[in-house]
Amino acid sequence: MIKRLSHFRTQLLVFLAVVGPGIITANVDNDAGGIFTYSNAGATFGYSLLWTLIPVTVALIVVQEMVARMGAVTGKGLADLIREEYGFRMTFLVMVLLLIADLGNTISEFAGLASGMSVVGVSRYIVVPLGAALVWVLVVRGTYQSVEKIFLVACLFYIAYPLSCFLAHPHWADAIKGTVVPYVRFDSNYLYVLIGLVGTTIAPWMQFYLQSAVVEKGVKLKDYRLSRWDVIVGCIMTDVVAFFIIAACAATIHVTGHGQIKDAGEAALALRPLAGRAASYLFAFGLCNASLFSACILPLATAYYVCEGLGVESGINKRLHEAPSFYALYTTLIVLGALAVIFLSPEKQIPIALFSQVINGMLLPIVLIFMLRLVNREDLMGDYRNNRTFNIIAWVCCVTMIVLTLVWFVSTFFPGHLPA
Amino acid sequence: MIYFTELEHLPVFDVKGEYLGSLADLCVDPSQNALRVASYLVKTPQKGILCITYTQVQSISVRAVQTSTTLDQVSCYAPDEGLLQVKKDVLDQQIIDVNHRKVVRVTDVDFDIQPNDGHTELRIVAANVGVAAGIRRLLQGAVSKHRIRALSGLFPSKTIPWEFVNLIEPDSSRRVKLRISYDRLAELHPADVADILEDLSRDEQKAVVESLDDETAAEVISEIPTEMQAALLESIPSEKAADIVEEMPPDEAADVLQEMTPEASAEVLADMESDEAKDVRTLLGFEEKTAGALMTTEFIVVGEEATLEGAIEALRNFDGNLESVHVIYLIGADQVLTGAAPLARILLAESSTPLRDLSTDEVISVQAHADQKTVVDLFHKYNLVTLPVVDERSHLLGIVTADDVLELVVNRR
Repeated sequence: MIKRLSHFRTQLLVFLAVVGPGIITANVDNDAGGIFTYSNAGATFGYSLLWTLIPVTVALIVVQEMVARMGAVTGKGLADLIREEYGFRMTFLVMVLLLIADLGNTISEFAGLASGMSVVGVSRYIVVPLGAALVWVLVVRGTYQSVEKIFLVACLFYIAYPLSCFLAHPHWADAIKGTVVPYVRFDSNYLYVLIGLVGTTIAPWMQFYLQSAVVEKGVKLKDYRLSRWDVIVGCIMTDVVAFFIIAACAATIHVTGHGQIKDAGEAALALRPLAGRAASYLFAFGLCNASLFSACILPLATAYYVCEGLGVESGINKRLHEAPSFYALYTTLIVLGALAVIFLSPEKQIPIALFSQVINGMLLPIVLIFMLRLVNREDLMGDYRNNRTFNIIAWVCCVTMIVLTLVWFVSTFFPGHLPA
Repeated sequence: MIYFTELEHLPVFDVKGEYLGSLADLCVDPSQNALRVASYLVKTPQKGILCITYTQVQSISVRAVQTSTTLDQVSCYAPDEGLLQVKKDVLDQQIIDVNHRKVVRVTDVDFDIQPNDGHTELRIVAANVGVAAGIRRLLQGAVSKHRIRALSGLFPSKTIPWEFVNLIEPDSSRRVKLRISYDRLAELHPADVADILEDLSRDEQKAVVESLDDETAAEVISEIPTEMQAALLESIPSEKAADIVEEMPPDEAADVLQEMTPEASAEVLADMESDEAKDVRTLLGFEEKTAGALMTTEFIVVGEEATLEGAIEALRNFDGNLESVHVIYLIGADQVLTGAAPLARILLAESSTPLRDLSTDEVISVQAHADQKTVVDLFHKYNLVTLPVVDERSHLLGIVTADDVLELVVNRR
């Protein structure tokens, strides 16, 4: 009897233990950069970018499932695999590129914090240093774990978006049309936002984080099926939230002709139908929560995988003298991120946040190519290699992003050469 | 001293000065000599790979490799699992640094050039893992070797002498061919070995554990986190797993088996010796998070009438872990727990003293079904090192030791 009960409980515990990396990654995915990107997409282009969500969700599920599978089968992190199979120099170059991207992402988290608090009238000169110090202490002192639950609960804030969306009485016909009918313009602005949309949803750093989290959890091959569901549910959650942020902004901001989002106050307008005058406070709360949450995870994850790739000692449980480069890297990311936001004028905050997501999108193909080559290796993955469908989807995603980046480049620096 | 980064891609010439190809890799044959480079793999312009034995090498420098042979005397490369290839098997792979007790990744390899008997040999000296090695890898081929040496000299160099390097090879037959043994690793404290294991992937963990003897393996596995223990034991054949689990203290064994899948733990229990299996099954029968689940069945007990000699006899016959014995428990005629004689007092007593006199006045014990918080509180309140666990009729079932309680307290934080 006890054996049977404990068996069921073991299964449940296994499910709960394995559920986690995917759901958490999903919520961290909706960070300040994400909120701004989605809000901007809806405000500037209305419903016409909604169609990207379905292909992006599919691509996200495929990509994340691949990294989770690689983690479960090889028991090694992505940076480790790249180092072992491609050598030091290649790893170093990739790490440098990703470091730059992640510095941009860190800046956008602090920009989110600054923007959010500026809505309630607190100056960034106070908020950003405090926020940076808070994040650093939470993570380094190891008390982050206890706070993680609070962050996750506060993520319930995202329910505000679907509610607000319905209350705004959007033009559902347009919304549905926008969701299923692809609409591509070759102008620089549109492509920029499109690349940013993909980049914020399928961020390169998240793939490293997820694979390491799966390895850390010690997900066994047979439990891997459950972790697959965790990944799928997480991805769908992310993109449902994205959908409603875009739709809410389209229904409120775009419709009134506001156009591009310039500060948090404008982005908050999307929540007016739900919260009325309190919309800005509600938005500020959600934005700050998302920013702090991601600021706790992103720079740390970056420090981890960069140290892993370069073969340097890492670990938040180690003392400073045991893992000096790790702590130095982590602290530098936080400090530079915070400084950048303190010295940037408020008008530049959101454009920089948007740009950091665009960089994510442009670097995505590079990471994808490595992933695809590794996940198809028989000596690494055995029977768990990619099947043809996954390969096609991932390669299509990769090629599409490269093409979009090139087209954007041409349309920005050599305008007029492309059809409208 | 010459580095692999300087040796790679070196032009190789035959005895007439004709260009044969560029140096692609170096092979060591551990069955002959663990340090000497036995053959040199050369990539020809036609994309073939030649294999030059070490006796055919006349001289080596940072500029070129000069052989004493001609093309027709050189054989083609045939892959051989018994050979250790530096670029393929060592560079950028993880190794165990037995001296510093950690897992590191090899960035470069140091060699010594030794003239010997008409030819020149290369011998492995150390694995190089520092920043200087990283600089050499980065600039390799892009900048002149002389400048790379100057630049990398500015940065700290960290090397691990080859005798402290333990390669990690998941394939057991290859381990035998390459003469990889973890003897040195086995000499480290189990907790240190456990730390090293935590840094390895599951296949690599399996490789190390399979190479250790059962007792050492049991000690090491006891020190790694429970989920990892279960995963590891499930991945090795159940007879070996049973051998290892038998060597573990029964309470640890019960914990691990509980964590494993029911099928796997049933298999392991079936393969264990019946006495050991019986002890473990008893412990598994207790509900989790109770005193019964925490306790071990390894303790020393003698009749309360026994003397010092009886105690020493019991100690001699004890086949559990002697280091964890602090107290000898005494039972009365009806097998009821009546006393606890601390080892220190026994040491100081006269040989004819009955142990009953050495026992503490009141024996503090706990019921098997009590929850673990009660256990922790008792330890704290009475400053205990071990706590006997009894059933409703005060029969001694087992003891809870301080290390298990410490683990509870640490995990709760």
